[in-house]
Amino acid sequence: MTALRLGQRTFGVGEFAVMAIVNRTPDSFYDRGATYAADAAYAAIDQAVADGADLVDIGGVKAGYGEPVSEDEELRRTVDFVAGIRERHPSLVISVDTYRSGVARRVVEAGADLLNDTWSGSDPDLVYAAAEFGAGLVCSHVGGLSPRTDPHRMAYDDVVEDVIRTTTGLAERAVAAGVRRDGILIDPTHDFGKNTLQSLELTRRLDELAATGWPVLVAVSNKDFIGETLELPPGQRGNGTLAALSISAWLGARVFRVHDVPAARQALDLIAVLRGTAQPAGTRRSLA
Amino acid sequence: MPVVAAAVCPHPPLLVPEVASGAAAELDELRAACLAAVDLLATADQVLVIGSAAGDASYGSTAGGSFGPYGAPSVRLGIGEPVLPLSLAIGGWLLEQSKAVHMPRSYRAVPVDAAPADCVQLGKEIAQGNDRIGLLVMGDGAPRRSEHSPVHLHPLAEAFDSTVANAFAAADADVLAALDPELAAELQAAGRAPWQVLAGALGRLQGELLYDAAPYGVGYFVASFS
Repeated sequence: MTALRLGQRTFGVGEFAVMAIVNRTPDSFYDRGATYAADAAYAAIDQAVADGADLVDIGGVKAGYGEPVSEDEELRRTVDFVAGIRERHPSLVISVDTYRSGVARRVVEAGADLLNDTWSGSDPDLVYAAAEFGAGLVCSHVGGLSPRTDPHRMAYDDVVEDVIRTTTGLAERAVAAGVRRDGILIDPTHDFGKNTLQSLELTRRLDELAATGWPVLVAVSNKDFIGETLELPPGQRGNGTLAALSISAWLGARVFRVHDVPAARQALDLIAVLRGTAQPAGTRRSLA
Repeated sequence: MPVVAAAVCPHPPLLVPEVASGAAAELDELRAACLAAVDLLATADQVLVIGSAAGDASYGSTAGGSFGPYGAPSVRLGIGEPVLPLSLAIGGWLLEQSKAVHMPRSYRAVPVDAAPADCVQLGKEIAQGNDRIGLLVMGDGAPRRSEHSPVHLHPLAEAFDSTVANAFAAADADVLAALDPELAAELQAAGRAPWQVLAGALGRLQGELLYDAAPYGVGYFVASFS
């Protein structure tokens, strides 16, 4: 287990990093276009930084099934925005959620530090963009699905074993392609290519992923496995999200992709103290 | 008259209550229709379960099946290593809940891309035997029926599924035998090959359509033939 180096930041073992989601999409499931416009998107970045985000994750294409987004349109939504964020927040770690190597190359040139390849290497050339520019890479698991498709009767003899084999395989391939070893994360990618029971199993056994030694990113925020478990729509999954996030942190996850930065930061700050990797802010009670 | 009764049922993992958790009640009607159709197989001397899978295979009465791959490892059937593909595992699970639970049973997987003529031929061979067989034919319609389907909406999905449903109601073996395998593959209708085995085995059985709906955007049919 080693330090994770992204952009100008280094995240040591035991340190939790919060990644704020800022989508440049008109149709993403949770924000429904709230930060599609440039002004709103920049304001969301500023707010996320003020709330304690260490990274921002910019998405130009809705993950699920929806209107097709051309590569040109994805570039239009992301490249200038990345450059603008870099100008406003020189040390903020900028991640871009894309599965296209053409987009990956351009956003890294514009200042992105991390490529969040959510569709699990569907474009095998994407790693070279990270390698060439020294960017980091998130290696995901989608059970072999094509980008922007939904799971239908996904079956795994052991979902955790499948996730470990796939993500660590992608990570080793990335290293071989020249990506910095200390810039690579693995992500079990809850809900993608999984039913709710399988995403719950991954959450329950996250320590097995952490034990691979690769830093683990979890993206559980407001996802369907939480919604189905609690029978709640996307707008009401915040408390369930914090529970899943906290368990993931306790079991060894290191980067947390979230919609609600202050809530995640607060939970993670407390967990860091419980784990003994940080000190309480102040302990006066009954001690004076 | 070796095939004395037949039942057609779909095979979503969701049919198993332990897989569906709190959503189990949503498929009560479908489950009840399946069991009504499967119960009628008890008039035969033995049951043959047919479903599609990646390849051709036969399994005996005690073949193992598990819903662990779908997140419910507590639900198992048979003994030994789970070997049954999903379609046959659901068929076996339905038999366990039915009046046909104690009947001798065997399983046959047909390749999802098997040629129609081969499927029909297999059905004829089954019907030519001396045993009085109850055929449990597992198959789904298109998972592309609506905007909220697991697989993207396909404009021909509904028409394909209605053709199938009407063929079941009329016990029309010719229509089933003529289903286009390429269209079925495009629509991802897993039932095409097993239904064509049924077409070869139907003989003069009369059909009754007990269920025809797509509650999650996947076409489910239940039919009974006697």
